[in-house]
This record gives sequence, structure tokens and C-alpha cells, in this order.
Amino acid sequence: MSTQRPRRAAVTGIGVIAPNGLRTDAYWKSVSEGVPVLDRITREGCGHLPLRVAGEVRAFDATALIEDRFLVQTDRFSHFAMAAAALALDDAGLGSGDPAEPFSVGVVTAAGSGGGEFGQRELQKLWGQGSKFVGPYQSIAWFYAASTGQISIRGGFKGPCGVVASDEAGGLDSLAHAARAVRRGTGTMIVGAAEAPLAPYSMVCQLGYPELSTVDDPDRAYRPFTADACGFVPAEGGALLVVEDEDRARERGVPVRATVAGHAATFTGASRWEESREGLARAIRGALDEAGCAPEEVDVVFADALGVPEADRAEALAIADALGAHGTRVPVTAPKTGIGRAHCAAPVLDTVAAVLAMEHGQVPPTPNVSDICHDLDLVMSRARPAELRTALVLSRGLMGSNAALLVRRGGESAR
Amino acid sequence: MITTEVTFDELAALMKKAAGVTVDPQELRQAAQSPFDSFGLDSLGLLGIVGELENRYGRSLPPDSERCKTPQEFLDLVNTTLTAGA
Repeated sequence: MSTQRPRRAAVTGIGVIAPNGLRTDAYWKSVSEGVPVLDRITREGCGHLPLRVAGEVRAFDATALIEDRFLVQTDRFSHFAMAAAALALDDAGLGSGDPAEPFSVGVVTAAGSGGGEFGQRELQKLWGQGSKFVGPYQSIAWFYAASTGQISIRGGFKGPCGVVASDEAGGLDSLAHAARAVRRGTGTMIVGAAEAPLAPYSMVCQLGYPELSTVDDPDRAYRPFTADACGFVPAEGGALLVVEDEDRARERGVPVRATVAGHAATFTGASRWEESREGLARAIRGALDEAGCAPEEVDVVFADALGVPEADRAEALAIADALGAHGTRVPVTAPKTGIGRAHCAAPVLDTVAAVLAMEHGQVPPTPNVSDICHDLDLVMSRARPAELRTALVLSRGLMGSNAALLVRRGGESAR
Repeated sequence: MITTEVTFDELAALMKKAAGVTVDPQELRQAAQSPFDSFGLDSLGLLGIVGELENRYGRSLPPDSERCKTPQEFLDLVNTTLTAGA
């Protein structure tokens, strides 16, 4: 065959279902204005639990967006994923009906929490009424793989499908997985993550995390990089993206919103935050190497921002280790302080924010955070205008995964 | 003691409840020889309907009931089982 330049993975569609917006434009408006939406948890059956504050997706009507036959067999996390996938496909101009080439379209999602609400309902039937009262869809609905499967069935997509179960950082790993699939020849990938960890059973599962914030004041519960950092608050929702071959996107005449330029992942062990410094720094270097990107080219960093003092320190040092002197000059932001951490979906929402930030020439702020105690140029009270060509997104999981993803603005032909 | 048979109306209601499949009972009756998947009902959906019927009538249905391909085949097997030895 010909010796063309390597295929590049382009982002052509974005779909967001988030605590601060049920569409991408609403999400960006809230993110760019730095509007915090963290609030007391109102979901049924959760009031007695010590976890008080989270980012809830309110006013989401699954019945208006998803067919009954998918609703009965899926959990809320898959409802978010299916709704976000439909928005992303529409955005990419692929939303109408059956795909022309079903075998050229694949799906990959990351999941950490699974279908806890559905599973709890069925387990209550098991212990309350007996095994014969447990519905058969329990076999698939709670499972991490459910959203990938249902998106592919609903859309008729028959290309390579997969699920990344690699902790919170898996959200970035899924994007890298999709980009690799595109580089290997798959035309289009639908990729991302959505989570629904705000239900009684799911919340109880999280209570054992020492990093969880149980502060009940929404304005003070999640303030990474400050002296008052007291852990993180969870969120539900997520984002799905359409990633496709850049040349194919240009042939279709759709805008290339960004390209996935580099990624690397490491593992340094559960809650070993001091060690995550080296893990995260190596992930950043790996992502830069893959992209052929110098540290000075990074125009903005979307931080993991866990909100645990030891972890925040490790992240600030990792940025300095990997980017050198540039690490203290580059604008850093963490818009997730306004909505909470949606586990695997958190870094995907950050990646969406990074793409939108590059499109709008604005670094969004970090809500509820002021007076930081680390040597970072954290963008705080309001968005900062900036020419952004390259964005670095960081993520760490509570189980020890670290990942870095580098995205470049659409239309740039760097490298 | 089973005195009434499971009807197309009841099957249509079960398809809605257990599998989220909306089908008009009249159409279900007229297309009773069509495969379940033509109505959008998958194998797990049929398994859920079997479970509902077993709980409702307090009887076990034969393993073959969840392998039935059409509404007619399914209702014949279910009603034969429920009425026999009732």
C-alpha cells in the first residue's frame, strides 16, 4: 500500500449528560462561568448516609430519551451513556438511523461503579421474595460492560467493541483505546464513560474510601489544592465522544474538533498518593513522547485534583517533574470542583472541557477554590482567555491507576 | 386449580412489563406464528416472562418454555402445562 502519514484520531462529536448540563452547550456555559452545582444529595434512600454532598444529574428524563425495551434492561449509568452517545452521534452528523457501514463503527466505554441501583433492586427481591423474583436482566444490567453493549445494540454498531476497567483513569484509557482502534483502521469509535454512583448501595460502597469527603457544606466539601482540602465528592453523569479517522472526517465534511495526540498510563497502588507523583509524571512524559510534544507546547493542564492534601502535593510535583519550569507557568484548572468526580467519567468530562476550552480560547476556572498552597498557576475565580492549541488531561484512580492524555486543537497539523 | 388459560392479552401485557416491548394484543394474535424477535423480544425477555408466569401461577414451567420461538408455540406449551394436572 501507499506510504501515507499515520492515521490520526479526530474528535468529531461530543455528548454530555452532566450535573451542570444535559447538553454540551449547557455544560460548557456552566464550566466556563465557573458555576458550582454541588449540592446536598436528594436521591431516594440516601438521606441517612454520612455522604452528604455530590453532583447529581437532575431533570434527566430517561423515558423521554430511551426506548422502553432498553430502559427495562439497563441501569441509570447506561441510560446516561446511551443518551450521551446519541448526542455525540448527532453532533458528528451520524445520528440518523442505521450506520452505512456497521462493521466500521465500534464502541468502548470505561466504568467503575456499574449498575448499582438496578443491582440493589434485584438483590432486594432476592432476599425479600426469593430467587424466582429476580429478573433475568440482572445478569447484564449491573455489569461494567452494559453500556458498551447497549450502545452498540441500539445503534447497530458491529465494529470492535470493548470495556476498559482500569479505575477512574480508565476514562482516559478508553479514549486512547479508541484512538488506537482508529489508527489501526476502524472508521469510527464511540467512546467515553458515564457513571451513576448516587444510590444507596453504590454510596455505601464508597463510604470506605478514606479520600471521600463527608463535609456537608456544598461550598466547602471539595476544595483541592487548598489548605482546607478534605477529600473529593462523587458525581453522576458522563460524556461520550465520536472519534474517527481524521481524513475520513474531512471527506465527510464535518469539523475536526480536536485530535487525540498522546496517552500513557501507569500504576502505583491504591491510596499511595506520594508514589502517584512518579506514576503521574511518567504518564505525562509518555503522553508527550507519543505526541512528539515538547513540555513547553502544553497550553493548559486539566488536573486530577483529588482534594486530598498528600495527593494534591503529589500532582503539583508531578506536573513540575514532567514539565520542568513550564509546570509552574502553564495554566492549570480543575472544573470538576464545580460538579464533583464522576469516577471514570470525570476525566472524560475533563477531556470534553479541554476540547471546548481550545475551541473557545478560554481556560475555565476551578469553582470553590481560592488560596491554593501549591506552586501551580491554578485558574480560579473566572475563565482566562488564552490561545490554546494543546491540552493535557490528568487522572488518577483510588485503586492506583494514573493516566495522561494529550489533545490538540482541531485543524492543527502539529507533528 | 387453573381455570383460565394465559391469553394473548396477558402475553402482550407481560411483554411490556418484563421486556419493555409494546405490542397490540390483536397484532400478537394475528402474527402468532412469527418469531418473538420480530416483536423485539429477546431471549432474556422471554425468560423474564416465564419467571413472571411461574410466580403468578405458583407453578414451574418446563425448560423448553423459554426456548419457544413464537407466541403460539409459547402459549400452547404454557397452557398445556398449567391445565394438565392442575
